[in-house]
Amino acid sequence: MSNTFKGTPSRRAFLKMSAAAGLASFAGPLAALDVPTVAGLPAANGPLHWLDSGGQKGEFIKATLPEFGKVNGFDVVYDGLPWNEIGTILPLGIRNGSAPDTFNLPQGMEPSVALAEGWIQPYDDYFADIAAFKAAYPAGSFVEGVNVFGGKTYGFPFSTERRFNNALLFDRAKLAEAGYDKIGPELALTYDEMRDAAKKITENSGGRSFGFIIGGNQLGRWGDSVTMLAQRAGAKVGNSALIQGLDFATGEYAFGSDEYVAAVELLLAMRDDGSVFPGVLTINAPQAREFITQGAAGMIIQGPWNVPIWEATAPQFDFGVSPGPVPTADQQNNPVYVAQLPNTGNMMWLNKAAKNPHQAAAYFAWLGSLDGQVAYANVASCADPAIFPETIALADLSERAVQMLNMAERLVRIAPNPMIANPDLSKVAAAYVDPTPNLSQAIQGLFAGQLTDVRKTLTGVADARNKALDDAIAVAKAAGANVSREDFAFAAWDSSRDFTNDDYAAL
Amino acid sequence: MTTLTLRRRLWLSRIDYLFLIPGLLIFGAFILWPMLASFYYSTLDWTGFGENAKFVGLKNFTDLLHDEFFYAAFRRSFSFMLMTVPIQMLLALVLAIILNNKLLKLSTFFRAMIFLPVVTPVAVIGIIMVLLLSPFNGPINGLLLDTGLVTRVVDFLGSPTIVLWTLAVIYVWKWTGITLIYWLAALQTVPDELYEAAKLDGVKSWQVMVYMVMPIIAPFAGVIALISAINALNVFPLIQSTTQGGPFFSSEVMEVYIFRTAFAPASGQFPRLGYASAAGVIFGLSIIALTIVQAILMRRIRRKEPTHG
Repeated sequence: MSNTFKGTPSRRAFLKMSAAAGLASFAGPLAALDVPTVAGLPAANGPLHWLDSGGQKGEFIKATLPEFGKVNGFDVVYDGLPWNEIGTILPLGIRNGSAPDTFNLPQGMEPSVALAEGWIQPYDDYFADIAAFKAAYPAGSFVEGVNVFGGKTYGFPFSTERRFNNALLFDRAKLAEAGYDKIGPELALTYDEMRDAAKKITENSGGRSFGFIIGGNQLGRWGDSVTMLAQRAGAKVGNSALIQGLDFATGEYAFGSDEYVAAVELLLAMRDDGSVFPGVLTINAPQAREFITQGAAGMIIQGPWNVPIWEATAPQFDFGVSPGPVPTADQQNNPVYVAQLPNTGNMMWLNKAAKNPHQAAAYFAWLGSLDGQVAYANVASCADPAIFPETIALADLSERAVQMLNMAERLVRIAPNPMIANPDLSKVAAAYVDPTPNLSQAIQGLFAGQLTDVRKTLTGVADARNKALDDAIAVAKAAGANVSREDFAFAAWDSSRDFTNDDYAAL
Repeated sequence: MTTLTLRRRLWLSRIDYLFLIPGLLIFGAFILWPMLASFYYSTLDWTGFGENAKFVGLKNFTDLLHDEFFYAAFRRSFSFMLMTVPIQMLLALVLAIILNNKLLKLSTFFRAMIFLPVVTPVAVIGIIMVLLLSPFNGPINGLLLDTGLVTRVVDFLGSPTIVLWTLAVIYVWKWTGITLIYWLAALQTVPDELYEAAKLDGVKSWQVMVYMVMPIIAPFAGVIALISAINALNVFPLIQSTTQGGPFFSSEVMEVYIFRTAFAPASGQFPRLGYASAAGVIFGLSIIALTIVQAILMRRIRRKEPTHG
């Protein structure tokens, strides 16, 4: 008998379900959408091209932007692509002049680098009163060094970073059958329990289903998942891009630490147990997300954006949400860290060579208003929570979405961000060249079996990254930047609370 | 007899040269210019997007010499060539000999079937192969399990130990048809009288092949091998549409390496067009060197051949 999972959807079925996800999730909230007509908008130069990473917020944009364009006299071309494709397509588009008018920056690319490379332009001048627009936002939404450079506004924020980006989502029936029916938003698995649960799920299914799945072809999933596990294990490290794995106490990369090593060893142990879905190295995150709803696996580490998608497309899938696992039960309340309040991954940037900057800015103005944010929050749910906190009270959210948001409020902390503390570090980011292999590549190599010694490999990545950062600092200093390695250390930070604007002021 | 000056000869052949212009323009725009531009870019520290290009001389080349991923990709490219070309040539030759038999019914149909993958876009083949070879719902794994040939699914494109062989098999299946056409063309040069004479003399079929046909078509082998080798070094679309060089670089050949460094760097890195151009220059020169070596060997072989008559 074949032990492959037979209930997986065909590619066509997958596409149909994805399309249905969008439609189903908006049928109610957007039925009465009333987008404004903007007076004095110049004639469009062809359609407005918008590129983002898709997901739930993408579905909102895909549904509302054409409507906005329709009442304001311009056409829209929307593309929602996986991050790895944005990383490939956008640089090519910038190079050959075909990049969209507005886009998400590739993962790991500092905005300062995009600015230095001439990819983006400020949008202040396309607003009648940019100061009033920004004043309506919660404090900390526009930050010099994050989305403001030299006093000009470049990144358009509309969602908050305070979300549990790498939560454990699980098939409740499978986990209950494995003996873990108490797991939920208030109680996470320990590492040993997760391994045991994965093994039992695989055994209980007779090999037709597997304990754990991950979109391992999407490289960033490895680094992001392991960094979350390390943070839950107690590592006080940055979560993404240049500060991913950066120990805030020392300013050094901590990939070789016990927390990181234990996290990777957990993944390898599940692999060795035969509990990991076969073929994880050839599927991306959206595929993994789809397969688990079909019963192919019991657990996945992914973001809160799965909640509204699954509730819309796979109502039969009875799933639960939980924080990432912890090494021991007494570490249940260990927080995870994000770099700032606005979600920079979702942030939209205006192409320096945009053909329709006025049209893009007009839509920004609506989405950045309370009306736009309420409409957005109704759809985005816990996936990409709206940045206006008052919208949460007005939004119509499912029980699991509320659990996700509460989990984020309880466990996600705003960490210090060196880029905010010293905007000159943007010059370091521009000069920084990440070594190969990076964290994600190294973990993939370990999982694939090409690399063997976990601690040695991760320490090697940390050493290479520390050297690369030192080199970048030297280049930036030579160019006149006032930077040092000490700018990356925040030894006095009390990691149990947010790092606020006051903390920055006190530095 | 009067000797025409060069100028006069050019003038007399002006119409001929006129016809060459479109071809030269296309050659210049799409072959010569990119080659020269690559040489120039290889001396720059440049992302390819910004205006901050900086001349660094040969630094990109010296950096490449210390890049283990460059060496690995370079070695992998030539390994892939050695994995595919001999099998492809041998398989195509056997098929060509069988299909060259005019008495074989449906030979045209079989030729068309074998050639069909050649005209199918590589990206389409890549996507289909990913589905067919999928370890969780792919029919090939299903068949292997159902027939008891394996007890656990085989991750054809996700296992670092077999991914290159999997790609080699797909490549051979895809391109054997074109090599078959080359061999069939070579076999057409064998005179029919030779077969008839051999038949009258009672020579066995295998003897006809080994002692008569092979020596005649042998010179074609060098050309076919050269074309096949160069094609096997240009496998970017197949690999990009299946594995993107993964897992963990285990199927990253030179073209994928160049693409990655020039246009699709990992998270946290940014494109290095100058560096990628330097890698491209080295790879291009190595292919030219391969061509020259092959041409020299062919010439030596021909010199050693006994003259007829």
